[in-house]
Amino acid sequence: MRYLRLALVAVLGAATLVLLWFAFFYLLAEGVRLYLGAMQFTPSKVTFYADSIRRGAEVTLKLTVISSLAGLVLGLVAGISKLSRNPIFRQPATFYVWLVRGTPLLVQILFAYNALPQLLDPLWKPFERMGASPIQDVLTEYWAAFIALSFNVGAYNAEVIRAGILAIPKGQWEAAQSLGLSQAQVMRYVVVPQALRIVIPPLVNNVVALLKDSSLAYTIGLFELVMAGQRIISATFRPVPVYLAVAGVYLLLTTVLTFFTNWLERRFQAQGARA
Amino acid sequence: MEPAIRMERVNKWFGSLHVLRDINLEVAPGEVLVIIGPSGSGKSTLIRTINRLEPIQSGRIVVDGVELSEDQRSIEAIRREVGMVFQQFNLFPHMTILENVTLAPMKVRGLTKEEAERKAMELLERVGIADQAGKYPAQLSGGQQQRAAIVRALAMDPKIMLFDEPTSALDPEMIGEVLDVMRELARSGMTMLVVTHEMGFARDVADRVIFMDEGRIVEEGTPEEIFSAPREERTRNFLHRILHH
Repeated sequence: MRYLRLALVAVLGAATLVLLWFAFFYLLAEGVRLYLGAMQFTPSKVTFYADSIRRGAEVTLKLTVISSLAGLVLGLVAGISKLSRNPIFRQPATFYVWLVRGTPLLVQILFAYNALPQLLDPLWKPFERMGASPIQDVLTEYWAAFIALSFNVGAYNAEVIRAGILAIPKGQWEAAQSLGLSQAQVMRYVVVPQALRIVIPPLVNNVVALLKDSSLAYTIGLFELVMAGQRIISATFRPVPVYLAVAGVYLLLTTVLTFFTNWLERRFQAQGARA
Repeated sequence: MEPAIRMERVNKWFGSLHVLRDINLEVAPGEVLVIIGPSGSGKSTLIRTINRLEPIQSGRIVVDGVELSEDQRSIEAIRREVGMVFQQFNLFPHMTILENVTLAPMKVRGLTKEEAERKAMELLERVGIADQAGKYPAQLSGGQQQRAAIVRALAMDPKIMLFDEPTSALDPEMIGEVLDVMRELARSGMTMLVVTHEMGFARDVADRVIFMDEGRIVEEGTPEEIFSAPREERTRNFLHRILHH
């Protein structure tokens, strides 16, 4: 009964999100179309340009959403591992965070697109013989950007989550341990749920940064929002209104994201007032 | 009879601070032991070594026939049999009272949700807060929270209960309701170790009282002996300070 209800809520929630997604991008395209019209772009081209901006924005947002989800998992694993007493967990996590935070994201993106396929090629050969596509075709601009961005945001998330876990009072650990819960259970049922609540605002910060940073994927030829703008500028030689439009769409996306996550934060806080 | 707890020459340091010095102690099943002493005397640390919240540097601790070791599994096994109640309650703030109480029985003992909840409600009923089951800890008074914390420990069916200054964080008018629950528990035959400043409780309920100072057990005896005719100067001074402040 309970699972049925949960499943129903999940399905309805997903359907609502998909609907909202399409409505949002439809309205976005309409808005851009009106704007470009008002800016006196060639009327026969306005719909095409507006649609290109819409497609670019969709790629940007999609990339941000899936990269932040993957980055959340990476951040949780790395953040918890960094706190482990066991060096087998702690050291790789520390190395990962050190490496990612100490190198430019641009280099990471270029590496994921240009270097990673070469490095992975020998490992991929057996799969290729089993009928998979060559690694260069699998690691498209989109997936290379996804890998680089999720690893990047994962490292920043790891630090946030580590700090969030350290913020949980010692008494909570002790109470959970004294009940006979294993270390993993203490984490899962007592520490992480409370830490997540603390870390939502800084995690949102990271996601907003990620949305903007995803524009760096322009350099490997991914058709995202900046690329859409550049193409229109090449065709029209009108950088001022186009860049303004691109910047405006980023602002809109970050604002929507912030609203959505603020709502999420309030939901989290509503269940169970903090002691 | 095998003692519920046996400590042999237990020593513990915090850095260079020697907080437990050659502690030898046996607690019989069903015994109620009250530990008193000035702050910093090591009494909280002593009971916290029994469920390994504090590791020791030398000596042996045998709980319910099992010797404490470094092994995480054996530590968890002992913690299942030893309930603990803290000064600051330490209820989980993101769970309702019922969820607080049912978590360990479900995840550690493997009870079904129905079994765990039925048992939790019985226990909450016993301490008079069944009507608070659906609330979050922050919505309860201190006394209610501490009673819930006691229930959370009892829900694991422990053989031994440790109380670390359970009434020290409470407003005076709420102390009684928590002590009543502990009294009832003592009557039911639970093995209890209680660190407290409630001398009235110690006098009424304890089978034996231990006075600690500077990491040592200075004196032990029946409540009558300790409170009416303490042998040691330090015990007399302490009792004088605490009873006539």
